[in-house]
Amino acid sequence: MSDKIFDVDAVSLRFGGVVSLNDVSLHQNRGEILAVIGPNGAGKTSLFNSLTGVYQPQEGTITFFGRDGKPMSIIGRKPHRVANAGVARTFQASRMFSAMTTFENVKIGAESHHGIGVVGAMLRGPATRRDEKRSDARTNELLRFVGLVEKANTISASLSYGDRRRLEIARGLATDPEVLLLDEPAAGTNPSEKVELANLIRRVRDDMGVTILLIEHDMKLVMSLAERLYVLNFGSVIAEGSPEEIRANPAVIEAYLGSTEEAGSK
Amino acid sequence: MKVLFAKIAVRRLFVTISVVAIIELMTGPAGSNSAPVSGFKGSFVESSSFFGLFRAQRWIVFFGLALIAWVVASFWINQGTQIRSRVRQVIAVPRKATEKSFVRRGALAALLFVAIILPHVETAPFWQAAMVEQIAVYVLLAIGLNVVVGFAGLLDLGFVAFYAIGAYTTAWVTGALPTPALFHHPLNPFWAIPIAIAIVMAAGVLLGAPTLRLRGDYLAIVTLGFGEIVTIFANNLYGITGGSLGTKQIPHPSLDVGPIKYHWGITPVPYYYLTLVFVVLFIIVFSLLERSRVGRSWTAIREDEVAAESVGINPLKYKVMAFAIGAASAGFAGVITASQLFFIFPSSFTLLFSINILVLVILGGMGSIAGVVLGAVLIQTASSYLLHSPPSGYQSQDLYMYLGALLIVMMIFRPAGLIPSRRRKREIMLAEVDHEGHLDEVLGGDDL
Repeated sequence: MSDKIFDVDAVSLRFGGVVSLNDVSLHQNRGEILAVIGPNGAGKTSLFNSLTGVYQPQEGTITFFGRDGKPMSIIGRKPHRVANAGVARTFQASRMFSAMTTFENVKIGAESHHGIGVVGAMLRGPATRRDEKRSDARTNELLRFVGLVEKANTISASLSYGDRRRLEIARGLATDPEVLLLDEPAAGTNPSEKVELANLIRRVRDDMGVTILLIEHDMKLVMSLAERLYVLNFGSVIAEGSPEEIRANPAVIEAYLGSTEEAGSK
Repeated sequence: MKVLFAKIAVRRLFVTISVVAIIELMTGPAGSNSAPVSGFKGSFVESSSFFGLFRAQRWIVFFGLALIAWVVASFWINQGTQIRSRVRQVIAVPRKATEKSFVRRGALAALLFVAIILPHVETAPFWQAAMVEQIAVYVLLAIGLNVVVGFAGLLDLGFVAFYAIGAYTTAWVTGALPTPALFHHPLNPFWAIPIAIAIVMAAGVLLGAPTLRLRGDYLAIVTLGFGEIVTIFANNLYGITGGSLGTKQIPHPSLDVGPIKYHWGITPVPYYYLTLVFVVLFIIVFSLLERSRVGRSWTAIREDEVAAESVGINPLKYKVMAFAIGAASAGFAGVITASQLFFIFPSSFTLLFSINILVLVILGGMGSIAGVVLGAVLIQTASSYLLHSPPSGYQSQDLYMYLGALLIVMMIFRPAGLIPSRRRKREIMLAEVDHEGHLDEVLGGDDL
């Protein structure tokens, strides 16, 4: 058995009578690029929100194996505690601190694992200044990594979609995560941005050693990037396997892709 | 008629005249039971002076004012953008200079110097008292509320509670309450300062921890309730607070540590300096805090709480912190008020007081320390002036009417306040842009 990072076991999430996730079981290995696909409303984002502590599933368990490999239950934990444990994420409709610059956005992520030190902040002591220097350096490093150095002082609301995705990725990486969850990173980007994005995601895994879990609609991107996929439909896992296996799976074709032609055109 | 009314300028004239007619009614004489329409008639026919130039019936004077307002407004609407851009060109050079840190420090030092010599320039007893009771104390309260409303973005409508707790703690510590003193031995009010600040901060945590889970409107309602509860407790817990009759006499503070001996007497000037020292201290601490990690986290929570959580920021912790820190300066303001005025009464800690402080913060510029200080100084000076030498026809209860009107005008023309915080201004602009629209246009004017 390989080294797991996420182990989702029989998770069900309901909102009143609406079943969002129905007995979902899946796992992710450390260092893997895993994708979750499925039609709209299949429960992909609900799964992400459950993995990050935003939603609290009523049944099942979600175990995260953090930095030291110790298991930690996600359910019942607040989102900020999950984030501090090493789960970073981006959002479907990108959520940035819009009135802040690119640099400030990323810096907030970089600062998250320093102690709070109100008194230090009030007096601006040497420890505070040292922390500040460290997070500035880390921020610059990450902006270089994602290719946003020139836009460091741009107000993030005026960035293009592609740049916003990079910013969110940089902000997530700034928290020193074990795993990065990407919610439809390619939405709203143009074809050349998509290629760059795919390269960036691969580099995040290869150079930074961060495990990637992604939701994506763009089949070309998913098939080229993911090493393994899960297919969700109506809140249930209907298939699991390598891109080739998924492509050939009749259940998937019927439930999700409709026809192979459509998959190619997407 | 319809054709005429279709013209925007005509409609504007009509609106101006209607507004002026309302102002005439509001500022005119009051009616009485025996002659209910006399106020209405008097508002229009009584004679009044037109800028001291001539006297005429009120309706003629006000009609003239309406015409002037109409001409000015039409001119501004047609030419405003050009004038604004020209003004921007002219002030570009001095504006650039203010960005240099030595210029800023010099200006701050000059302002501090003015603040220090002010009591020696203005020696009228009324104004010396107003400097402490009406201005310095309000500046303290405004910079405290600014931490909560401006930095953390939490609407607090019960800020007066912390001020009241600070004042009553002073009374408690000095043995001026019917209940025994805190340490069973009355202390000097000077030592009430740290105790009051600590108690008020604890109250901030106690109020904040359960309520700051709420968002937006709900939080505002709860804080409103907290403010009322404190006032009602002060009023009704007769055996503890002295009830509506207020406290026993609170002694003046004095300091007796080694070689430093000082006694604050009955004159307001020494209190002014004591307050000034703390105002400067609070300003320094709050602005360091704003530019620290804590300040950035507040901004992040204000702008997008979900995203803030996703990078590991605990929103509740930071919000509670904002409540406690903001409350600290209100607590100190309470000590000053209590020890300078001898007595405190529950009736001074009302909802209207909280609203007043909030108005200072909004007018000055939420999130901008310089702004709220300026807002507090300007508004409080103006209202003290109106109290000191009211113009004919002005009654003290009219103050809030004028403040309300001022607030409306400000929200239309300068929504981010007198000296806006850059980030707040940007947030307001972004909120106005219909998401994608002409974003660059809006942000283009903001030289970063």
